[in-house]
Amino acid sequence: MTGAIVVTGAARGIGRAIAEAMTAGGPFTVVGVDIAPELALSEHITPVETDLTTVDGPRLVRETVEDIGLPLIGLVNNAGITRDARLVNMTDQEFSDVLDVNLGAAYRLSTELAPMMDDGSAIVNIASRAYLGNFGQFNYSMSKGGLVGMTRALALSLAPRVRVNAVAPGLISSEMSLGIPEEIRERMIDAIPLEKMGTPAEVANTVWWLLTPLSSYITGEVIVVGGGRSLS
Amino acid sequence: MSGVVLWAREVGDDWEEVRSVLTDAFLAGRSAAQAGDSFVFVVHQDDLLGRRGAGNAMVACGLLSAARTAALEGATKGWTANVVAFDEDAARSTVEAWAQRLLDSEGVTGELIRVGPGHLGKALP
Repeated sequence: MTGAIVVTGAARGIGRAIAEAMTAGGPFTVVGVDIAPELALSEHITPVETDLTTVDGPRLVRETVEDIGLPLIGLVNNAGITRDARLVNMTDQEFSDVLDVNLGAAYRLSTELAPMMDDGSAIVNIASRAYLGNFGQFNYSMSKGGLVGMTRALALSLAPRVRVNAVAPGLISSEMSLGIPEEIRERMIDAIPLEKMGTPAEVANTVWWLLTPLSSYITGEVIVVGGGRSLS
Repeated sequence: MSGVVLWAREVGDDWEEVRSVLTDAFLAGRSAAQAGDSFVFVVHQDDLLGRRGAGNAMVACGLLSAARTAALEGATKGWTANVVAFDEDAARSTVEAWAQRLLDSEGVTGELIRVGPGHLGKALP
């Protein structure tokens, strides 16, 4: 299994861990959209700088994959942002920014790349445990719920050629979670049965599994990587 | 009890259409919440499973997740947010009655009510 895998939002956190796992775990070329500069130095990574919320952004990614000349075997829609506010206070801009990046860009890129994806390839959408609901994140949870819906629809329409699944991380150690006040973060960790934050690598391992034939009979599913938090 | 019922418009697999419906839902939900009113989103059951295309699926699943989040925020303020999903054969009057029942009820929030048996034996959204 060799080929190219597109990973968006690969500059830091979960996206970076995914890009690292892809290049360390197999003979893949990663097309990293918004990749960390030090990773871009790797011979296994082709960086692309573009805005996926524009019509031209996904086209540039497709052209880059075509230039590489390898079969496209994977797409990881990871790029995401937060603009948290309670619904009563949420501005139009906070709402639309999150929707456009987290859902619109993922949809545009998926529809651009799906026709060229190889038989047996896979798409993994990075949703969030917030798709089950999360205070102060009407925009974010809507976008991630939309991503789950997109996952299910594409799983049906692209089968049997391409499998499509989603990973929904819970509290993961990243710039985003480390920005949460320590007292609140500790309370959140107390509610996690596995008693810790997850790591970006733990999410990346799940993504890796979903991209490879190890998960060849799984499509249209959402796998929560959350330490059991959905039960507590 | 007063409140808002928003039926999700059917869309094609076009991002701008999806964006428009989700934005309308945001604006309606925010207005209701600011007034202290409850709201209900109504979606097609098949769309929760992605069976009528990506556009409709993004709308339906997005609205369900948003309602769950809104329910958390309204829980201490006295308003609720719920979702009704209907089968193709469900009578509109039945769906409307369930939506009104959810607006009238106390303590039921963040729920998904499915009208019709189409969800049986299939994935939980």
